[in-house]
Amino acid sequence: MAEHLLVADGLGKTYGDVVKTTALSDVTFSVERGEFASVIGQSGSGKSTLLNLIGLLDTPTTGQVLVDGRETAALGRRGRARLRNELLGFVFQFHHLLPEFSVVENVLMPGLIAGRDARRSRVRAEEVLALLGLEGLEDKNANELSGGQKQRVAIGRALLNEPALVLADEPTGNLDTANTARVYELFRKVNAELGTGFLIVTHDRSVAQQTDRILEISDGRLVQDVRNTYAAPAP
Amino acid sequence: MLSLRIAARFLRRNPVQSGLIAAGIAVGIGVQVFLGSLITSLQQNLVDETVGSSPQVTVVAAAEGDPVDLTPTMWDALSRDDRVTTAVPVRRFSAIYRRKAESVPLQVVGGDLGALDTIYDISKRVVAGRARLSGDAVIVGKDFAKANGLAPGDAATLVLPDGRVAGRTVTAVADFGAAAANETLAFVPAGFAGDVLDLGDGQYTAVEMQVSDVFQSTAVADALRADPAFAGTKVTEWQSQNRDLLTALQSQSSSSYTIQAFVLIAVALGIASTLAISAVQKTRQIGILKAMGMHDSRAGRIFLWQAALLGVTGAAVGVGVGLALIVLFSRLASTFTITPQWSFVAVSFAVGVLVALLSSLIPSRRTSRLDPIEVIQSG
Repeated sequence: MAEHLLVADGLGKTYGDVVKTTALSDVTFSVERGEFASVIGQSGSGKSTLLNLIGLLDTPTTGQVLVDGRETAALGRRGRARLRNELLGFVFQFHHLLPEFSVVENVLMPGLIAGRDARRSRVRAEEVLALLGLEGLEDKNANELSGGQKQRVAIGRALLNEPALVLADEPTGNLDTANTARVYELFRKVNAELGTGFLIVTHDRSVAQQTDRILEISDGRLVQDVRNTYAAPAP
Repeated sequence: MLSLRIAARFLRRNPVQSGLIAAGIAVGIGVQVFLGSLITSLQQNLVDETVGSSPQVTVVAAAEGDPVDLTPTMWDALSRDDRVTTAVPVRRFSAIYRRKAESVPLQVVGGDLGALDTIYDISKRVVAGRARLSGDAVIVGKDFAKANGLAPGDAATLVLPDGRVAGRTVTAVADFGAAAANETLAFVPAGFAGDVLDLGDGQYTAVEMQVSDVFQSTAVADALRADPAFAGTKVTEWQSQNRDLLTALQSQSSSSYTIQAFVLIAVALGIASTLAISAVQKTRQIGILKAMGMHDSRAGRIFLWQAALLGVTGAAVGVGVGLALIVLFSRLASTFTITPQWSFVAVSFAVGVLVALLSSLIPSRRTSRLDPIEVIQSG
C-alpha cells in the first residue's frame, strides 16, 4: 500500500517557557497525493502554526510529522531544509520575491538551491511562467510587476521543483477579487494537469468551499474534516 | 556557487554601501602599504648611511697597540663564513697635517685600494683627481681638502706618531658621505702604513669586515670569538657600538606597528558594522531562501562571500593607492626613495582580505541561525 504523502500525528505546539501558550493540540490528519484541500479557521486559531509544522519550518512540541512515511523529527535542520526543497512548495500572503533577481531567476531559485542543471531548470521555469500566463516578463525585475503578477511569480517559484504538495498561507490575502479568482483557477489547473497537491490555509469560507476537502481549526484543535463534493471542477 | 552569486547580487543592489566598505578597506590597506614601505625604506636608508660604507665587524689585537698577526687559518675561517661579504686587513694610525703654523689631526688608513673599495667605496666617491694608492699617494676627504686648499697633485706634509715628517702627494679628493670622515679620514698605501707602524708582512692593526645582512653582525662576531683561530684578538661590531641608533629604529618600528594595527582595527570595525547592517537589510531574503530549502551554512556563506568580494576588491585598490602614494612621495620628497616592499605588500593584501573575512563572522553566524518563520510571519 502506498504511504500517505503527509501525516500529522497528534501535533501540538506550545510557546513560552514560563507562561505557556498552547497554539495547537493533538491535531491528527493525513494528506494524499494530488489532494486539493483547505484549512480554515479564525485568525489566531492556530492554522498558520499548523502550516509551519507540516511545512517543516517549525518543530512540534508533541506528536510528529511524517512525509512519505518518513519521520521528520530526526532529520535535523539540514535534512528538513532538503525535504522542503524537494517535496514542498510555499506560497505566502506576501509574495516574498527577491528584489535583487529577475522574474525568471526568482522562479529558478529552488532549482538552484537543489543544485539542478541550470539550463534544464531554465526551460522548466519558462514552461511554468507560460502556464501562469507570465510570458514575456522573464527578464523583468520582480519589483516591476503588479501585485497579482508578483503572486503568480511566487506560485511559479513554488512549482519549479515539481513539489508533491504546495502549502499556501492566505495566498490571495493581498489580492483583489479578479486576481483572487485567477489564482484559484491556476491552482486548480496545476492540480489537474500536474497532479500537484494543494493545502490552502484561509480564514475565508468562500475560498475554502472551492476546495475538495475542508479541515477546520478552532482554538488549536481540528474540529471538522469534511469532503466537499460541490467544489469539484466540471468534467 | 549559489552563495557567491547571491552575494554578488546583494552587493550590486546597494552600490553605494558596497563602494563605501571597499573604499574603507582600500584606505586602510593603502596606509599599510605606504607606511610599511616608508618605515622599512627609511630604516634601510638610515642603516646604510650609518654603516653602509664603514666596517660592520672589526678584529683587533686583545692588547691595545699590539698588531694582529693575520694567519692563513684566520683567512680560512673568514672565507668559510658566507655571511662575511668582505674582509680587509688595514693599518690605521693617527697623524698631523702641518700647514705653516696650523696643525690638523688626521685618521690615516693604510691598505690596498681594491680591498678598501669593498668597504669604503673610495674609487666611486672621488670628486677630484684619480683614485690611486701607490708610492707617496694620499687620498683625502673633500672637507679637509677645502679647508686646507688642497687639490690633486698638491704636496701634503704629515707628522707621524713617532715624530718623523713625511711628504705625500694628494692623488684624489673624495666625498666619504659623512662630515666627520670628510674632515679627518685619509687613505695611504699599505706598505707606507707598515713602515710608519713598524709592522712586518701579515701584521695589521685590524681586519675590517662587512656582512651580507647588517643585523647579522652580532652573530658573526660571536662566531669569530668562539673560533680558536681568533684567540688573542678582540672582535667588535657596529650594533653594540650604536645602541642609541638601534633603540631609535626599534621605537620607530613599534610606533609604525601600533599605527598599522589601529588602522586595521578601525577598518575591521567599519566592515563588521556595515556587513551587520547589510545582514539585517537582507533578513527577509535570507528567510525566504531558507524556506525554499537553503540550508543554514550555505545561507551563512552568502555574507562570507560578500566579505571576500569586498576584501579582495578593497585590498587590490588599496595596494594601488599605497603604491601611488609611494611614487608621489618619492617625486615630491627627493631626500630618499621609498622602495615598495613586495613581501609587505603581499602580506598587507592578505591581511586586508583576512580582516574582511573575520569581520563577516558575526553577520554570517546570525544569518545561519535565522529562523525562516520569523520572516514569513512578520511579512
